[in-house]
Amino acid sequence: MSRLAVKTENVWKEYRIRHALEGPQGSFKAVLNAPFNWLMRRAEKKPLFQQSERFFALKDVSFEIEHGESVGLIGRNGAGKSTLLKMLSRITRPSRGKITIYERVNALLEVGTGFNTELSGRENIYLNGSFLGMQTLEIRSKFDEIVDFSEIEQFIDTPVKYYSSGMFVRLAFSVAVHLTPELLLIDETLSVGDAGFQQKSMTKMKELLGSGATIILVSHSDRTINDICKRAIWLERGSVQMDGPSADVEESYRKFLVDPAPFSI
Amino acid sequence: MNVEKRAAEMSPVVITPPSSLELPNFRELWEYRGLIFFMVRRDIKLRFQQTVIGFLWIVLQPLLLMLIFSAIFGIMMRVPTNGIPFHIFFLSGFVVWQFFSQVVNNSALSLVGNIHVIVKSYFPRLALPLSTVANALIDFAVSFIVFLVFLLIDGSYPITGRYLLLPVLLAITIFFSSGVGLLFGALMVVFRDTKNLLSFILMIWMYLTPIIYPVSLAPEQYRFLFYFNPLTSLVDSYRWMFLGVGDLPKVSYLVISLSVAIVIWFCGAIAFKAMENKIADIL
Repeated sequence: MSRLAVKTENVWKEYRIRHALEGPQGSFKAVLNAPFNWLMRRAEKKPLFQQSERFFALKDVSFEIEHGESVGLIGRNGAGKSTLLKMLSRITRPSRGKITIYERVNALLEVGTGFNTELSGRENIYLNGSFLGMQTLEIRSKFDEIVDFSEIEQFIDTPVKYYSSGMFVRLAFSVAVHLTPELLLIDETLSVGDAGFQQKSMTKMKELLGSGATIILVSHSDRTINDICKRAIWLERGSVQMDGPSADVEESYRKFLVDPAPFSI
Repeated sequence: MNVEKRAAEMSPVVITPPSSLELPNFRELWEYRGLIFFMVRRDIKLRFQQTVIGFLWIVLQPLLLMLIFSAIFGIMMRVPTNGIPFHIFFLSGFVVWQFFSQVVNNSALSLVGNIHVIVKSYFPRLALPLSTVANALIDFAVSFIVFLVFLLIDGSYPITGRYLLLPVLLAITIFFSSGVGLLFGALMVVFRDTKNLLSFILMIWMYLTPIIYPVSLAPEQYRFLFYFNPLTSLVDSYRWMFLGVGDLPKVSYLVISLSVAIVIWFCGAIAFKAMENKIADIL
């Protein structure tokens, strides 16, 4: 009986788009001006109340992911992949539906979350590690390994603002690499850095899979998806188009990109 | 396997659409205490690192203000302070005001100021305004010590048993300040010009609180107006505690004040929680 890692049930995410006419997002000034705006619109015979447009980033998304699975989220830009990942990371909440998470989540959505350049590398390791979901004791016990892996031992007590971009990425990555996630959520924007660095990332991800972690990965690279993920979920305009073995889903997705006509979307 | 065991022990996290009435989750705040600690430490370090004088600034701030206000209101304008030396009279109220204004101002800015981590990681957002309280307590402690030094030099106001009231007064101060801060923090998410409004409100509020003048300075029939400001009676109580002036605060007053402060805090926390769900989407 395999255990569930994540279950999403009929999840919708709605955004309201404000049009430029409505002025800056929310201000007391707007509230005070409201009666005047109303009168003006009445005089010009425009519709009295401006409706904000509703935009659905996610529509009725449902799936289950079991413990230990590796799932890729693919789709065009704006399809809702990052929104879904943000939702699984608890950064944003659904408009409708329910998500249940059965494992401890570590979300890697950017390089160096929480880094403050005024502080030293040492201080940032603790800060970044905490934002990534590591416990203080865990960070402390792995501290030396993290510093070793990043190869910036010499500069660990210098403020990060003096680091080169390469050093910064190496340090941030080093912290991330020492996570022991149960459920790991990764956004593709993590593929910064040179080829060697990317190779390191792939190796590490496979290692994590081997040790039983569940991985959900958002990526545009079919190589990454096919390499790491056994299963892929294809999102298009907020809805799940296909959910199955990554090779099959990737194939359909690529066909769609070339010629969308045959697909009834 | 270790991973298996831990996952099995955990109760699942359910993510649902936000409702407008959600209470703060204290257990979760406790779980994230490590992160909160590092955020507080970061804020403190940043304050010193960006100034040339560093830690000295925390001491200089109340000191300089005291000098300026004493010179202008005490010596030049000769504001009558019922026989108490002006600088002592001022500091006894200022320690409270400093805490309140610092917490309110920084709590209001905390959500928007930390947007870059809010959109990239999850932690109970309430941690942000609460870490403001930790910072303000440090400033309070320093100002308090500065004040005690001046009391010692003056000699007429010894430390007595009245100081036992400090924990209670501090509790009222913390809950009230934090609650107001949370309310403004919530407002900031919806109305971005709250920041300017807040600076203005705090400025006026300070003059409406008897810090540089005693309430007795107002004509008797208007004195009650000052008591619409919750800080007035709070400052009165602090002054009684430090200097022995005024009436002994009644137990009923203290109980009511603490209860009201706690209620205000929960209102602020609920408003804040309602807005924190929106912030990742709006900004």
